Formats: sequence, C-alpha cells, structure tokens
Amino acid sequence: MIQQPTRLLQRIAQTHLALTLGLLGCSFLLSAQAEAGEKYAVRAGTVHTLAGEAIPNGVIVIEGGRITAVGSADDVKIPWDAEVLDVPHLEAYPGFVEAHTSSGMDRPNESVAVAPFLNVRDSIDPVAFYFEDCLRSGITTVNVQQGNACVIGAVGMVVKPRGMTVEEMLVRPRSGLKISAAPKSGMSRATQAQTLRAAFTGLRNHLEDLVQQKRNGNDYSRREALYQGRDLSGERGKGRAMMSKGWTVEGLELVPRGEVDEKQEPLLDLVEGRVPAWIYCGAPMDVRLAIELASDNGFLERTTLVLDDSCWKAADLIAEAGVSVVLDSTLVRTETDPKTEEEEEIFIPGVFKDKGIPFALSSRNSSTESLWFQAAMCMAHGFTRAEAMAAITATPAKILGLEGKVGCLCPGAAGNVLLTSGDPLSVTSFIEYVVIDGNLVYDRSADIRTQHLLEGVVPEGTESHAEEPEVEEDTRKKAGDEAGDEAGDEAGDDGGSR
Amino acid sequence: MHLPETTLASVLLVGATSGLFASPAFSSAATSPPTQGDLVAVRAHKLHVSPGKVLEDATLLIRAGVIVQVGNDLEVPEGARLIEGDVVCAGFMDPWGSLGMNAAATVDMATNAATSAIDGVDPYLHPWYRNRALAAGVTAVRVQAGMVSARGGVGAMLSTAPADDLEGMILLKDSNAAAGLGLSSRGNPPDVFARISAVDKLVGDINKGREYSITWAKYAHDLEAWNKTIAEAEAKLEKDFKKAKKDRDKEIAEAKEKDKEFKEEKYKEDKRPKLPKLDAEDAVMARVASGEMPLVVTIHRAAEMRELLKGTAKFKRLRLVIAGGTEAEAVADQLVARSIPVIVRPAPLGANRPDEYSGHNLALAGRLADAGVRVLLGSSGGGSSDLPLLATLAIGHGLDRDKALAALTTEVARTFDLSGELGSLRPGRRADLLVLDGEPLLPTTTVRYVLCAGRVLISPDSRD
Repeated sequence: MIQQPTRLLQRIAQTHLALTLGLLGCSFLLSAQAEAGEKYAVRAGTVHTLAGEAIPNGVIVIEGGRITAVGSADDVKIPWDAEVLDVPHLEAYPGFVEAHTSSGMDRPNESVAVAPFLNVRDSIDPVAFYFEDCLRSGITTVNVQQGNACVIGAVGMVVKPRGMTVEEMLVRPRSGLKISAAPKSGMSRATQAQTLRAAFTGLRNHLEDLVQQKRNGNDYSRREALYQGRDLSGERGKGRAMMSKGWTVEGLELVPRGEVDEKQEPLLDLVEGRVPAWIYCGAPMDVRLAIELASDNGFLERTTLVLDDSCWKAADLIAEAGVSVVLDSTLVRTETDPKTEEEEEIFIPGVFKDKGIPFALSSRNSSTESLWFQAAMCMAHGFTRAEAMAAITATPAKILGLEGKVGCLCPGAAGNVLLTSGDPLSVTSFIEYVVIDGNLVYDRSADIRTQHLLEGVVPEGTESHAEEPEVEEDTRKKAGDEAGDEAGDEAGDDGGSR
Repeated sequence: MHLPETTLASVLLVGATSGLFASPAFSSAATSPPTQGDLVAVRAHKLHVSPGKVLEDATLLIRAGVIVQVGNDLEVPEGARLIEGDVVCAGFMDPWGSLGMNAAATVDMATNAATSAIDGVDPYLHPWYRNRALAAGVTAVRVQAGMVSARGGVGAMLSTAPADDLEGMILLKDSNAAAGLGLSSRGNPPDVFARISAVDKLVGDINKGREYSITWAKYAHDLEAWNKTIAEAEAKLEKDFKKAKKDRDKEIAEAKEKDKEFKEEKYKEDKRPKLPKLDAEDAVMARVASGEMPLVVTIHRAAEMRELLKGTAKFKRLRLVIAGGTEAEAVADQLVARSIPVIVRPAPLGANRPDEYSGHNLALAGRLADAGVRVLLGSSGGGSSDLPLLATLAIGHGLDRDKALAALTTEVARTFDLSGELGSLRPGRRADLLVLDGEPLLPTTTVRYVLCAGRVLISPDSRD
C-alpha cells in the first residue's frame, strides 16, 4: 500500500486506537482518509459498471470520494497526481448494497414497544466484527435499522463499513423509521395492530392538543419546551401547516415545531414524508396491516416492506400497493399441505420478479451467505446475471434513495469499488481489494483472519506462534482448525441476532 | 355484508314483483347470458325455510348469490344450475369460534375493549381448515381476539367460504364487544373475591361507556347552542355597529378633550365548548351501553352471573349474551325475563376441565331451552367443523331438534343483527345453504352440497 507521509501521524494515532480496542492483527483495515479533492484511480482488467457494457482494460478515476470518470484506459486519462491501484489481473465491480440489516449494533432490539425517538446511531458499534466482514464480502453500503421485535422502532442510518466513529461511517443519517407489523413478543397480531394504530392516534391527539392550547392562549407546551431546554429558535421556532397525504391537523401552523414533543416528532416526520418507513412483515397477513397503516397515514410512497419468506403469498397485495421490498435470506421456501403433507418448493425472488415488484436481497450472515451468495442463488434458479446483480446493487440503492450514488460505477457515484479475482458470484473467486470513497480499505493479501482460516497461517505475536518452534506438525494443524471453528461460530452468532 | 348494495336492492325490488322470471325485466336481463354460478335453483323434498317452517317439494332460486324466490311451484329458469336433494336448510353459524383467526390472537391476554378481531384474521390460512368446516355445513363463524381475556374486544362474523382477500371473508366486522369473567388462566381459577370485583369492573366500564356517549351528545348539543348564540351575537353586533362606531368616536373625542388615554371596551363572549377526548375503549363500551352491538360475556358460575345481572339491570338498552353459562340454570328466570341468549358448548369435557366448567353437563342446552331461555350452540374455539356433531349431542341430551337448528341458524343471526342477511332461507337472504340427505343435525345425515352466496363449494364429487 502506498502511504503518503503527511497522513502517517494520523494513521499511527488511529492504529493505536485500534490496538487499544483489541483489534489485533487487523492491519488490512487500512485507515487512510480521503480529503476533498484527493485523487485515486483504479486500472482493472475489466470494469463492470453495471450501468452499461463491461469495459475491458478500464480505468476508474475517483476525486474527493466520488467517481469522476470511468472508461477504457485508451479514453480516460489518469490524473498525474492520483494514487493508482493498478490491477490488470482483476475485475472491478461496484460495492454491494445491503438494504436492511440489524447487524453491527450493540443490541438490535429494545424493550420499549413504541420508541420512534431512538436512533441506531447510539447503538452502532464501529468495531463490530460485522463491518469487518462486510468488506470481505464486498458490501460497501449498509442500511442499519432496528431489529424486527418492536412496534415502532428507532430511526435507522445508512453507513459504510469503515471508520472508527459512527460519524465517520455515515452515508445518510435518517434512512427511515422501523415499524413492525408482526407482533413483538408478548403481543399478538390483534394487539400489535391496535398498538400501531394507537401510536398514530396518539400523535394526532398530541398535535390537536397543541393547537387547542395555542387557541386557548395557554402556552403550556411552549413553557414545557423552554423548561426542557428544547430549541425554539430558527426553523424550530416557526410553525408550519401540516403537509401530509394522510390526515392533517388544522391549525398546526400556530405551533412552533420545536414545541412538538420530542418523542412524537419522528412520527410526525414520517407522516409528513420526511423520513421513509421500513415495515417488517412476519407473515402474509401482516402485509395488509402494513399497507393499510402506511396509506392511512400518508407514507405509503416512502415505505419499503421487509419481508419474512412466508410473505410471498401476499405478493399480489404488494404489487397493487406499488411498494418495494427487502427479501428474507431464505430464498426457497417449502410449503406443506396440512392434509396431504405434500411439499411444494417456492423460489421467492421469482414470485416477486414475476409480479414486477422491486426487491432487494439481504444477507443471511456476514460471511458465507452474504449478498453475493444470495445473488448466486438467484442465478441458480434462472435469473439472468443482470437481474441477480441488480438485486444487490441498483435496486437496494434505489430503495435507499441512493440511486446512481451507490451500486454502480458511474460518474457522480461514490468511489466504492470491488476488485475481484473473477466472477463475484462464484465461490472460487475472492474479493482482493475494496475501495470506499476512493480509499483502499481492504487488501486480502493483508487479511490475517482469512489467511488464518484458509491457509492456516498463524498470526505473528499470537500465543500459538510463541510456542511454535517446539510444536509438532499435527498439533499445529489442530490449533488452526479450532481457530477456524471459532470464526465460524462468531459468524453464526451474528446471523442469529438479526 | 359485502354484497354490492345495488345488486341487493335491485334483486329485492324485482323479487317483490310477482313472478320474477315472467316479468319484462327478466327478458332484458336474459340478453346477457347468465354466467356460471349466477343463477342457481335448489329443489328439495323438504326445505327448512327456518326452524319449524318447512316447505314440502319446494324450489329455491338464487341470483347473484342472493335468494330471490322460494316456493312450491317455481319453474327452474333456463340456464340455471339445478341442484336436487332430500332436505335443504340454512348454513350453520358458529357464534363462538376461532376459525380464520391467527392462533396467538385468540389466546392473547393483553386485549382490551377496542382490540379488533379483524386484525387477528389470517386470510392466508390454508384453505383446508375452512374446507373442513364447510364440509360439515358451517358457513359462518363469529371470532374474536382474546377469547379468554378480561376484555375480548370487538368480534367479527366471518364467512367460511374461500375469498380472494380479507374483505371477502367479512360478513360483519363489528358483531359484538366481549368480556371474560372468572376464567381460569393456565389452569388456575382467579381468586373468588377477584372474580366478583371483575364483574363490578365490567359494570363500571359499561357505565363509563354510557357516560362517554352522554359527554359527546352533550358536546354536540352545547356546540350547536354555542354556534347559535355566536351567530345571534354576530348579527346583533353587525346591526349595532353604526351605533358602536358613533359611541367610540364620541369617546375618543371626549378622551382627547379631557387629555385622557382612550381605552377600547373589552369584548366578552361564551367560550366554545371543549372537544371531549377520544377514547377507543370507552367508544366501544358506549356502543354496548346504547345497545348498538351486543356484549358477549364468557361466564360460568352462578354467583358471578347473579352479580352481573344485578349490576347491569340499570342499562335498559344493553344486550347481554352469555357464553359458556355452565351454571346458567340458576338464573334462567332472569335470562328469560331479559331475553338474554346463552351460547352453550355441548362438548364432552375430560376430567381435567377448568374449574369454571366443573358443573358442565351436556343436558344444559336442553334444560335452558325448556326453561324458555334462548339457546345458541358454539364450539368455543374448539373447532367449528365439530359443531354440527356437538349439536347432535345436545339433541341426544334433550334439546329439541328445531331449537337445535335455530341455535345454529336463526338465533345466531338474530343475536348478532344478521337476520336480514343470514340464518333463514327467505328471499333477500344471502344464499348460504346446505343440501342434506336426511333431517338436519341427525348423526346419520350427511351434507351433500354446501352453497355460500350461491357458489357451490362442496358437492358429492368434490368430497374427499
């Protein structure tokens, strides 16, 4: 890796931090920072832009974190001052996009049923193993949302899997509010639906109360906001008429927005269309509730359904509502006839494709069954390569409102590039390098975990390494295997927490 | 009812004229060929129009899912599908079931008065479950969330016929409110004092509902009065404006003369009446207190039933329905006097029955009916497909056969305000009916055809 001396100090500081956090042996997590105007270029054997024909002997130029030019090496000139990753033996692809996950958080779920005032920002763990694995699997954009065990959950955010702080990882701060149409533990579908509706009735009552107080000349809410130290200056000091496609509260312009209860505000944002909604459906019957709730409250257009695999039965309803979906990691579902016990296999992405519903795939876990595997499964069931790739790049990008910004290699998009040894959907290829925002953030040749797992290389400075000179061949092999099992377990846990 | 109103209205209108198919209206309708299932004729040796009212060798005509004519000498119109059988009666209705509901919703203990059964309905349930009930002759089931909860919320009447979506399943989306008193939880009965105070709590809730509707009625009244007062005041003010302006000018001049500050006169008017707070639970109880929908109370013990009847006596419009009623014989007089129906579950119970069922007796339905109590039969969520068999058990233990048939048809429709649509085979009713090879509710009788809204869903060749 080419390291500019001006950034050396910064790098040392960060590496030191990484060490104190226990990230031993993770030197492949390269922490160079692109600053505005900095230039980076990739020259690859083939550049797959996913927005047109593949370009043999292609060049990608990234300036200030964004792609400025993509084309054949004959046409595109690499700026003289650009750092160049020259890999003619590799293929370039855009980074994959995870449309919805609850991984990478300290805890995916909350005990409070209705908690729209929470934000995943406070729970995302930048050193979570999950984000490290994202790079190995080629995921460069991740929408982190609260887990499915909620009624109304936290506001999520889109991050890139690199950075030592949440701010550094940030791509889009308010990617949407999590809602679940499937019952939280201790509730049934009937009471879940009731609680969901009550949350919106509660918002409405609260807003009506505020207006009534203003009309009565009772400024209780204003005094309350002042007492609590809520900001009432600037935009927050102004009242605005309610803008919603669902219901409105007349006279809301009388109430400065800063006086709206902080706990209700994210819901108001949702109703007024300022944040999208991610509604989890755990069974086909939940789909109806999700769509009804979204259309009654005017946010259907900004709704994405996060579906359990059983929800394929509600595909007609989804198609009619015109919403996009994120599919569960189970792509093939077996339905059993309760009487004959006959089994029928349903290939779920196929159902959604046939109905013309835009869908994004999601990873089962952060390693072996990551997005690339899901896309490969789709190809195995008859999808074209373009369809399979779109479900892990362009479609999730569009769902996240990042169309043309991520998921393709085109001018204006973020400089997120994967360099693969071959077909990224093949088990025999590897992701050799990952570039995010024009920074080389992953280099497989320095990925000690992978080397340890696949080649049995014992990292320097580890205990078994210290004992090594006296250890016999068999024992060392066994030690390597155990370490491998551990890594597998960790991945399994990660999948389980979703 | 989910039938298009226009269809229903036109059919009723045409049906009212004598000889539907001889009328000129028919010839114009005949220009568009009737589609399969549009026109059905059912002919039987015995046709139970309603329990106790039997037509011999009768024919029944169905158009667009609705019964249009019933009579002895009806001609079968051309193009109609003809179904023939020995005995025809209305489809059975289970007034206390769970078919079509998500299982967790029926046993949810956290429900309240405003929980809606519709939210717990699973339209994606495998059709086999519904077909089983249909094959047994059950064409409608009343369901609710929280069947054993203190407040079961708003129940719904569902059709067992296959439907494309949820709307197609619903016969009535708010058939009743529900409550449970003294029911065992995880095998343990509630404490005896808790049981009595639970009754008081329910009475209190109904009272709250009544007050809630009074508050809203008062608000509407006060608002009207206020609007009137304001309108009058405005008219008067406008009329007196010239004088007021003159006075003001004069006062300004005076003030100037005396070198005093001029003060505007204070305007005062009545405050607009305050909008009452919406409360979903009170709103449901308000509908209960006003008799807009019945309140189904699952209750078994005589002591609690006495307390309930005493506490609710003051609500003259309240329509109580008792479900379970194991010891209801003890209060039969009051049930007769107040015309309170009892939904009995005539199922054999094992030795490990819950405490409230300890006096369970298969003869209950018969004895109550003999005492003059209105009896309905329900499966208590134990499987609607068994209900006709349970009814034969009740007959075996003394329930009159016509009363048993009424307990599954007309009485259910009447209790849940569906008499105009279901429960009997009169013109204008939805064509949910059974064609049998013997008298209804005999263990030897089998169901040959089942029609729901005129559609043949079960036939001898479809049976398996």
